[in-house]
Amino acid sequence: MSVTEEPGKPRNLRERLNVLQDRIYDKLFHNYIWQSIFRSGYPNTPRNQMLVVATNVFLHLHPTRIHRTHVKITYTYCLGGLTFFMFIVLTITGVLLMFYYVPSVDRAYQDIAALETNVKFGLLMRNLHRWTAHAMVILVFLHMMRVFYTGAYKPPREFNWVVGVVLLVLTLVLSFTGYLLPWDQLALWAVTVGHGIGGSAPYLGDETQIIVFGGFEIGQPALIRFYTLHVIALPLLAAIMMAVHFWRIRRDGGMARPL
Amino acid sequence: MAVEAQRQASAAPARPRPKRSREEEVLVWPNLVFIEFISAVLFTITFTILSVFINAPLLNRANLNVTPNPSKAPWYFGNLQELLLHMDKAWGGVLLPTIFLGFLATIPFIDRSRHMQGVWFGTKYAARITVITVIYATVVIFALVSFDAGESTGTERLTRWIPACAESSEDVSWPCLRDEVGADHLGIVSTKDISKRLEFEVLGVKWPEDLDHIAWPFNDSIGDWDLGGIGLGSIHGWGGEHFNIPSIMAEQVIPLTLVIVVFPGMIIYTLFRLGWVRTRRDVLIVMFTGALTSFVALTLVASFFRGQGQDLIWPWKIKVDEG
Repeated sequence: MSVTEEPGKPRNLRERLNVLQDRIYDKLFHNYIWQSIFRSGYPNTPRNQMLVVATNVFLHLHPTRIHRTHVKITYTYCLGGLTFFMFIVLTITGVLLMFYYVPSVDRAYQDIAALETNVKFGLLMRNLHRWTAHAMVILVFLHMMRVFYTGAYKPPREFNWVVGVVLLVLTLVLSFTGYLLPWDQLALWAVTVGHGIGGSAPYLGDETQIIVFGGFEIGQPALIRFYTLHVIALPLLAAIMMAVHFWRIRRDGGMARPL
Repeated sequence: MAVEAQRQASAAPARPRPKRSREEEVLVWPNLVFIEFISAVLFTITFTILSVFINAPLLNRANLNVTPNPSKAPWYFGNLQELLLHMDKAWGGVLLPTIFLGFLATIPFIDRSRHMQGVWFGTKYAARITVITVIYATVVIFALVSFDAGESTGTERLTRWIPACAESSEDVSWPCLRDEVGADHLGIVSTKDISKRLEFEVLGVKWPEDLDHIAWPFNDSIGDWDLGGIGLGSIHGWGGEHFNIPSIMAEQVIPLTLVIVVFPGMIIYTLFRLGWVRTRRDVLIVMFTGALTSFVALTLVASFFRGQGQDLIWPWKIKVDEG
């Protein structure tokens, strides 16, 4: 092409297609509605890429820049992030399961059985909820091991390690409270073992059984307690602790690396 | 004042963190955000496939009148259930786990050096002592579990040299083990035997019969104060009317000393003498690794080696009686 040539009508098919492509792109992404949601296009300059992380509500817990070594998979194996991701999946599938479940000893078991047979994708949701819950317990332990063996609890991150220990306990308790809800033999007797362990607490054995399990055997009071703890109280608490946990990572200077 | 002291304490190596240069940095978008996105997608796919093929268990409707045998806690509490078999319930189920969590929470306040943070196995021998501790703790846990199930594993043979007690219990100055009438002589079958079958006499005091009902002054009342039954009796051996020393030895002192003092102490001391454990960080590595390995080993025992009545058997012999 010569420089004198004016940009005008498209000459051949390829150019025509290019024009068409630009028009479609404009219609899709430069319209009033799209731009009301996403104020700018794909961030393709370093400045915009930092801005998008700093200003987007979902991304703003990240710093805008991190050290090169921290994106090496073999450093963290994404374990903490995956634990959080399991929590998100559990929240989504858990909400869906709540639509079909009534925490009553007369109905709970039938509800789960009906969920598996009568509800579209009900079985899949239950399976996902179960397996991701087990995965979350495993991942939280692996994450703790990673943090320990890399010495990432050292100053100034002492307190965040303590928050992590709290989150470990919350994860275990969340999983345990969920264990009772299907109200089958597996659930009942596993929780009965836990009930016995709680009852052996020195000084507070009976109190533990009455307050946490609602009595000296597992029944409706235990089910409604576990349900309420499982679907609202503990997830809320865990979410708050997670927010603290993630925020502290940034306040403490990002991930640990050698001084 | 307190803040000052704290600042001094945590500022031991008063080196400021060196500023990283721009060349060492990457942008979170796209370098990190994309990794997060891809791992989320991979895990979603993996778990969806898993959930299509493997169903979550759903047994019969819960029935308080039908007890499955064995009934087991969820696997991550199996370790606690296992501990209950070997020591007092309050210790195995509540106090020891609490101590473990307390230990976890205090780790960063014990090892406060900033040296080698963010490095995998940062001290010179960290990897080596980790591997050794994993092997050691696994062997110790399986050995202790086997010993405490002496009759089924045959470890009672190790103590069979202790003579059987004579039928009449007049002469027990030499330690002896009391067998059931007409039964073959067995060595120590479980730790509980120390309070139940072992008999001896020192300075005219007979074990266990003179020591298992010592009046305990704080039982539910001190002088005129009624403690209203706050339950000192909830720890086995301390409660009721009497203070049961043999039982306290067998179910609390001996198992706890072994798992908290003796076995951790032995490995830490050995590695220290070898020169492989040098700093607090090294000691913590041994303790953390040992505790976590024990936790896993106990979980494995509880999940795969406990059959009906919590008997120790091979995984392939476990039969669950649904009741």
